[in-house]
Parts: sequence; structure tokens; C-alpha cells
Amino acid sequence: MFRSHHAQPPELPAVRTAPTRPLIVFERVFKTYGNGNPALEDVSFQVRPKDFVFVVGASGAGKSTMVRLLIREEVASRGHVLVDGQDLRRLRRRQLPRLRRKMGIVFQDYKLLPTLTVEQNVAFAIQVTNPGRRHLKEKVAEALYIVGLEDKLLSQPGQLSGGEQQRVAIARALVHRPRIFLADEPTGNLDPDTSWGIVQLLLQINHRGTTVVVATHNREIVDLCRQRVIAMEQGRIVRDEVEGQYMDGAAQAL
Amino acid sequence: MNPVPAIRFVLRSALQNVTRNFGISLASLLTVTLTLLGAGAAVVVVHALDNVLHSEESQASVLKVFLADHVSLQSIMQLESSLAAQHQVVSVQFENKDAAARQGCRQLGLCSALNTLRSTGGGNPLPASLNLKLRSIGAVTTINDEVRTSPLIFQGAHPTDYNPDVIPRLERYILIAQIAGGILVAVIGAVALVIITISIRTAAYVRRREIEIMKLVGASEWFIRWPFIFEGMMVGLASAVVAAAILLGVEYVFGAGHALFLGIGVRFALTVIAGLLVAGAFLGAFGSMVGIRRSLAA
Ligand SMILES: Nc1ncnc2c1ncn2[C@@H]1O[C@H](COP(=O)(O)OP(=O)(O)OP(=O)(O)O)[C@@H](O)[C@H]1O
Ligand SMILES: [Mg+2]
Repeated sequence: MFRSHHAQPPELPAVRTAPTRPLIVFERVFKTYGNGNPALEDVSFQVRPKDFVFVVGASGAGKSTMVRLLIREEVASRGHVLVDGQDLRRLRRRQLPRLRRKMGIVFQDYKLLPTLTVEQNVAFAIQVTNPGRRHLKEKVAEALYIVGLEDKLLSQPGQLSGGEQQRVAIARALVHRPRIFLADEPTGNLDPDTSWGIVQLLLQINHRGTTVVVATHNREIVDLCRQRVIAMEQGRIVRDEVEGQYMDGAAQAL
Repeated sequence: MNPVPAIRFVLRSALQNVTRNFGISLASLLTVTLTLLGAGAAVVVVHALDNVLHSEESQASVLKVFLADHVSLQSIMQLESSLAAQHQVVSVQFENKDAAARQGCRQLGLCSALNTLRSTGGGNPLPASLNLKLRSIGAVTTINDEVRTSPLIFQGAHPTDYNPDVIPRLERYILIAQIAGGILVAVIGAVALVIITISIRTAAYVRRREIEIMKLVGASEWFIRWPFIFEGMMVGLASAVVAAAILLGVEYVFGAGHALFLGIGVRFALTVIAGLLVAGAFLGAFGSMVGIRRSLAA
């Protein structure tokens, strides 16, 4: 189902005023790491604003590689990755911070600073990008309210459960009001109930208008959510379904 | 970007780096101090030797003929006019014992010694002299040989201030001081740079989580770099202060009145201090830039 990013989706003539430009475009992307391992092979897909996408696949399928290309931690070996119309291959080094500020990113291991409080951890994202920004406390409080941790401001990460720590990480990722929210195995360290709570939160963030991409191999959650699923196998996309399942079911295969 | 909180962040992080890695910060402080001390000492010594050389050179065609005590003024004037009559002599000037004492006090720092002698009845040991100005440096040798035979002159180890090889010797000293100082500074400087780099790399390693998050949330590279550069500059500046204090202290304690330090005035001292501060800050900043580079890559 390869589609060049020039081709527009079919338009509904009356209601829509402007065609929505895809926010994320992978165009025939190959990625080979230094050791010669092909991690992505001929990967193409698009994500439109406000989409919610699961990227699923076995360990080593290339999910994290995809995320690393999106945040420009790695550059595609061939092909193009575009974010908001910008080809990341042509992104200059000093433009990287701007790209990252458009994105909220969370990982399996939360990446919180253990000596800071919850509030300071979230504020950190603003202090190091836009020090002296006004209403810092309000913005931090708002982000923590969204993730439901408004009463844990002064706790330290070590005093929180895994789910709560991931919520802090999500709040920190939200505090810039990112257009794109990326999560790489956000529930990898969490039990099913807690995982479900985190995914509910991601769906809620999506409902507020943020594009969300979640790389996961949490089967129950993917099957329950009935969202778009991009399935990877050995660096290739094997399925891309609008209301997908974790496993190949009665799917519209490629 | 609002500068005030940004600066506060930089200062706080840099101070934290120093206190968290106190041992290695101290090591880099010591090596940078050594470097600056070596450089500073080399500069001071070369400058002082240079001064001596210049004054020797300007006095090269001057010959001081010391006169024995208790010779009659008349015979002195006879010697003076016979010297003045010579073609190679430009001028002759008589300097009596009092003037010699004043000179010795002012130029050689002998005031206290002379005062002690006088108050203990030792009198003034410095001889009167005839100060000859000659047409050329070459003439100094001939006049010196000639005048030494006169019965009027001071019968001691140094009847004149003639010293044929003082200038080449000084020039050699200056060259040696420059080369040795240069090598010393280069070697210690390289070591200091390596240690600063290691120290900053350690600080960056301790903060790797923080740096990772900063990159992730979109902090600019300079914002990530500044605390470390500032840390390096603080270490460099502190080293410069220590080195300057040691240099000035040494000069104050041992150098007063010593010929080597005669040429060092307040202005030169201030220049040296400023130079040390700039060099320290530069060493620190450069070492930090190198040390932080790996953490910023990719
Ligand atoms: N830095 C790297 N250097 C070399 N090879 C790498 C590197 N990162 C990933 N790979 C390889 O690329 C392939 C895809 O890895 P990737 O991390 O994208 O998989 P993944 O789908 O995220 O797996 P997991 O579910 O275990 O996180 C794997 O074969 C992996 O060994
Ligand atoms: Mg992964």
C-alpha cells in the first residue's frame, strides 16, 4: 500500500477545508547499522495528524529503529523520513532541538532523574529548553494533572510505582505540548492493569489532538484498542491495518 | 531565551560538577596551576634577563674605573684629563664615594647593608670612580688594559667593571630560559589539558542521564555544553589565581632587591596576572570542549 507523500488522500469535498498533510512519512526507508545488520528494509507508511498508531512485531523486528529514525537519533541508510514536511536527512545539527521539541518521547525505562522531585523532573524539560519561561509551575501542574499525578509533586521517582514513574515521564513529554507523541515499549516494565492505565492515558492524549505512535509487543492492549496497527517482521512492514489486531487475523493484508 | 535563569542553571550545574567530582577537579586544578606556574615563571625570568641584557648593552660602551681610597683629588684630576684627551673617550665623569653609595642603594638594593655599615662605624665601602663613556664597545678593552696599570685605581679583584663576556652569556641564558620554559610549559600544558579533558568527561559521565534527557527534550547543544565549559573555566581561573599568588609571593619573599627582579614593575606584574587568567580560562574552556564532545555526538 505504498503511497508517495505527494498523493493526497481522497477528499471529502464539502466539509474539509484543507487537505491534511501527513505529519510523518516513511518513504522506502532502509536502515543498516554499522555491523551490517539490516534493521529496516523498504519501509513506507504515513501518519496523519491526530492519528493513533501501534507499531508491533517480535523482538528485533525494527520498532525501536523506527523510533530512533523519527527522533533523528539515527539517519536512514536509504529513503526518506519526513516529519511535518521536513526531510530529516537534510536536518542540520543545530535544527535538531526544534524537531525534538515538537515531539514528546517516552521509553520503557522512564528516564527520570532520581534526585529530582516529580515536579522538578517535569520542569526540567522546560528549564533546559526555555529557561525563564513564565508560568512554569502552572504548565508543570497542568501536565501532571493530565497524567493524574497532581498530588505527587514532591515525591521522588524512587518513591513511586512503575506506572506512576511512567506517568511522570509522560507528563515531562507533554509539557512542551508536542504535536507528536512517541512511546517505545511504554508498558514493557508494567503489569497488565497498570499497562492498561498507561494506554488509556495515551488514547486520551490522542483525543486531545496529539498524534501518537506506540511501539509495543503488548498483545492484549493492541487487540483491545482497535486502533491502526503497523506490523513489522524482520525489518519489513507485513501489515498496516486501520483497526488492526496484534496477530494476522481476518486482515486486509498488504 | 531569558539569560538570567539560563545563567543560573549553568552556574548551578557547574558548581555541582565541581563538588560531585571534587577529587578529579582538584587534580585538574593542580596540573593547570603547575602549567601556569611554569609559564609564568618562564615569562618572568626571561623578562628579567632581558632587562639586565638591555641595561648591560646600554652600558656596554661605559667603563667604570674604581679609584683607591685616599688618593689626592689632584692626581685624580690628572688621570681624568689624560683620559679625556684620548680619542676614543667621549666623556669622563667623576663619581665620589657618596654618589657611589646612593647608586648602590638605589640600583643594587644595598641600602640596608650600607646603613648598617655606616651606623656601626664601618664607613662607606664603595669606591669612588671615574665613569668613562667610550666611542665603541671595542674601545672598552683597550682603555681597560691601559687604565689598570695606573697606581691610582682600586686594588681589588675588580678594579674596573669590565666584563667582556657578560652580554653573550646573558643572551645564552635568555635562550636557555626560553627553550626550557617552552618545553616545560608544553609538556605540563599537554598533561593539564588531558587531565581537564578527563575531568570534564567524568563530569559528563556522571551526568549522562541528564545529558540524554536534555537532548531528548530538545535542549540546544550550547545549553548542554555551557555548564561543562564553565566548570573548566572556573578550574582554569582558580589555577591562575593560585599560580599568580605563588609567583608574586616568591618574588615578594626572595626577589626584593635581587638583580633578576629589578625590571619587574607593577605594570609587568599586572600583565602577567592578566595573562595567567586568560591562559587558565582558555585551557579550561578548551579542555572542556574536547571532554564534552563525545557526549554530544549523535
Ligand atoms: N545500535 C545498533 N547497532 C547494531 N545493530 C542494531 C542496533 N540497534 C538495533 N540493531 C539491530 O537492528 C535490528 C532491529 O532492532 P530494534 O531495536 O529496532 O528492534 P525492536 O523491534 O525494537 O526490538 P525489541 O522489541 O527487542 O525492542 C535488530 O536485529 C538489532 O540487533
Ligand atoms: Mg525496541
